[in-house]
Amino acid sequence: MISFVLQRVAQSALVLLVVGLVAFSMFRFVGDPIDNMLGQERTIEDVERLRAQLGLDQPFAVQYYRFLEEAVQGNFGVSYRQGRPVSDILLERAPATLELAAVSGFLAIALGIGLGVFTAIRRNGLWANVIMSASLIGVSLPTFLIGILLIYLFSVELGWLPSFGRGETVRIGNWTTGFLTESGLKALILPAITLGLYQMTLIMRLVRSEMLEVLRQDYIRFARARGLKERAINFRHALKNTLVPVITVTGLQLGSIIAFAIITETVFQWPGVGLLFINAIQFVDIPVMAAYLMLISVMFVGINLIVDLLYFAIDPRLRVDRAGGH
Amino acid sequence: MIRAFLLASTVLAAPAIAEEFKWAETTDPQTMDPHAVNSAAVLGFLNNVYEGLVRRGKDMTIEPALATSWEPIGAGEGWRFTLRQGVTFHDGAEFSADDVIFSYQRASDEASDTRSWFAPVSEVIKVDDYTVDIMTTAPNPIFPDSIANWMMMDSGWAETNNTTLPDKESGNHATLNTNGTGAFKVTAREPGLRTVLEPNADWWDTAEHNITRAELTPIQNPATAVAALLSGDVDLINPVPIQDAERLAANDAVKVIQGIEARVIMLGFPHEADALKYSSETTDANPFADAKVRQAVAHAINVPAILQTIMRGNAEPASQLVSPAMRGYSTPLADRPAYDPERAKALLAEAGYADGFSFGLKCPNDRYLNDEAVCQAVTGMLAQVGITAVLDAMPVQNYWPELRADNYDMYLLGWSPGTFDAEHPIRFLAATPNEEKKLGSWNFGGFSDPRVDELLPMIQSEIDDAKRQAMLDETTKILQDEVAYVPMYVQPLVWGAKANVDLTQRPDNFFILRWVTVN
Repeated sequence: MISFVLQRVAQSALVLLVVGLVAFSMFRFVGDPIDNMLGQERTIEDVERLRAQLGLDQPFAVQYYRFLEEAVQGNFGVSYRQGRPVSDILLERAPATLELAAVSGFLAIALGIGLGVFTAIRRNGLWANVIMSASLIGVSLPTFLIGILLIYLFSVELGWLPSFGRGETVRIGNWTTGFLTESGLKALILPAITLGLYQMTLIMRLVRSEMLEVLRQDYIRFARARGLKERAINFRHALKNTLVPVITVTGLQLGSIIAFAIITETVFQWPGVGLLFINAIQFVDIPVMAAYLMLISVMFVGINLIVDLLYFAIDPRLRVDRAGGH
Repeated sequence: MIRAFLLASTVLAAPAIAEEFKWAETTDPQTMDPHAVNSAAVLGFLNNVYEGLVRRGKDMTIEPALATSWEPIGAGEGWRFTLRQGVTFHDGAEFSADDVIFSYQRASDEASDTRSWFAPVSEVIKVDDYTVDIMTTAPNPIFPDSIANWMMMDSGWAETNNTTLPDKESGNHATLNTNGTGAFKVTAREPGLRTVLEPNADWWDTAEHNITRAELTPIQNPATAVAALLSGDVDLINPVPIQDAERLAANDAVKVIQGIEARVIMLGFPHEADALKYSSETTDANPFADAKVRQAVAHAINVPAILQTIMRGNAEPASQLVSPAMRGYSTPLADRPAYDPERAKALLAEAGYADGFSFGLKCPNDRYLNDEAVCQAVTGMLAQVGITAVLDAMPVQNYWPELRADNYDMYLLGWSPGTFDAEHPIRFLAATPNEEKKLGSWNFGGFSDPRVDELLPMIQSEIDDAKRQAMLDETTKILQDEVAYVPMYVQPLVWGAKANVDLTQRPDNFFILRWVTVN
């Protein structure tokens, strides 16, 4: 047991290190931050001085080693653009992304399952067909286009919802929330739909096909034969058995909701970590880019580690250390 | 207390109904420190909060601000500034000569990005509490023009908050907080999200605006910014994407405000190189070292066509390194080389390139308005006279290092003179590069002309306006004859505002809040 866990943790750590190495080897292709940091009237001497000061004249492996050395002590450096510690900036921006991800994740699951069941039960109905066709849009249109379309419809033409930003926020300790103000809630709607639409259609189609599969099973027929109510059959017996794969997929999608928030945040000027990352790329703000990429990879690696450990808990065949006895 | 304060300021300042104003720009000012970063985004924003001894008016002329008057000392040993009395900083501290001395030390320190403004200064002397002498190493007629963005900081505030020097790398109190003397004070600052301004009730000058609260939000995505303006979420956006300008102008609820910026867009050449770097056949010679070839390029480019199609008629052709709005512009030399492909071909033949040649054109794709499209058009026009450009466009962060490494055969450059004077581009773009004298630091191609190098210090120290202009004209003539660069056009400024907003647009692209009225 312990050796299995250690093995997986060691693998995860190795993945993180490789991600960091790849990220640092890419940074020099993003460009040179010096010109953004110095004004028009800089001299070539100033450029060289600042580059040496920031350690940018060193090979990327050395830069990476220095980053790691600081990072293990919890220090992610200072943003080139803002001149403030990166960890402060990330903590400041994280609530916006997490709230957006939570709301769109919730929307995706609730609507996805609801519509999935509906389209499965009424699979020849008019509405079910309309929903199925419409869901193709969610799968095929790129996120930024959906965002722009929603902005034009609901902000510019109808004037119902704000076109950008997060509205008024309330500060609770270190957390800022948009859940407690009217403008904050309004501002959440369009970005949450944009971000969650793809996952919603994915879950919907998954639930529908699983549900159709389950509805053909014998035990459903027997349930019908016993004269159980349709609702009890559909929701108590059929849906429960479709949820296992749905939960697996949803869990894995959670990470990508946060990672894909980049595009949604850019379109809606949503002040989260994704927008921060885009700005960092434009400015070649290496400390922010490095910290963000590490954070996202820690998240993905973490989710995978948990999934692995869960499998271990569920599936006895994986318990290699005990396998010999039986 | 705060409300009473606001109310008081409203009564004092507002001629009409008090208004809240929101605006969006592409870039957030990266710091609130007026000496840390010399960029238009920072200085433009802080012009609303901090003030200098002098400031620029609506027509860019220098007018009194924290100094009421100034005069040259002796035969050009320096300038004497008489300071305004009774001015207070936002925290209530009084402004005096000590703050000027302190701001000089702070802004001219090695840690400051504004240091180059003080290169001509030898010493700053406090004569009395309201008189300051700024001594220069040589006569410097444009010194007052060159310090319009040198902003005054309170010495006491800086010492209390441990921010006597700017710290760009790790930031300090002044990175996030302000204490100026200007018409507005910053009441909230969340970098990258929003910056809130409220009027300074104790401002020394009479307020023209009717704003009670203003908020700046950076919006990077142009489509989002346009939508924000159309939906009424913001009152002003800068810039409006050129392709959207027409559509916005047709909408009654908004208006498009156009002007020309101080920025001249030009093509640059590798004057010093021995050979082309990206040519498929001309690998042992540098055709651009020959002035005839450079002239041919100038004649081959159809600037009016570029302006008509790519800029949609929003820009003006340029003949020299500065726009007509700048001090020292050479009016007699206002004509740019005519579009004449036959002449271009003849010039190429004379230079021995009748069959043309191929070369590499480097271009940024996110620095200037429609920069990549302009380079594509240039490529097409040059192909018509027989020289084939291989275009390589890239983000600006990759672009400058390429130019510094001399990886180009021709490049695109935009230049906006920080001093609004024709001397500025000569110093940075035309003077022979000299690290020690801090000359020619953007002269990537190494253009060098002994007469230009000789004229530059004379221009810098000439007190007599007519003589100075004659020397500027002479320099401009040399640069035109030699085709050191091919100036193409002056970049347009396109802002979008709600129809009920009145404002003034200045060629430096600074958004000055105290000239805004919301009707």
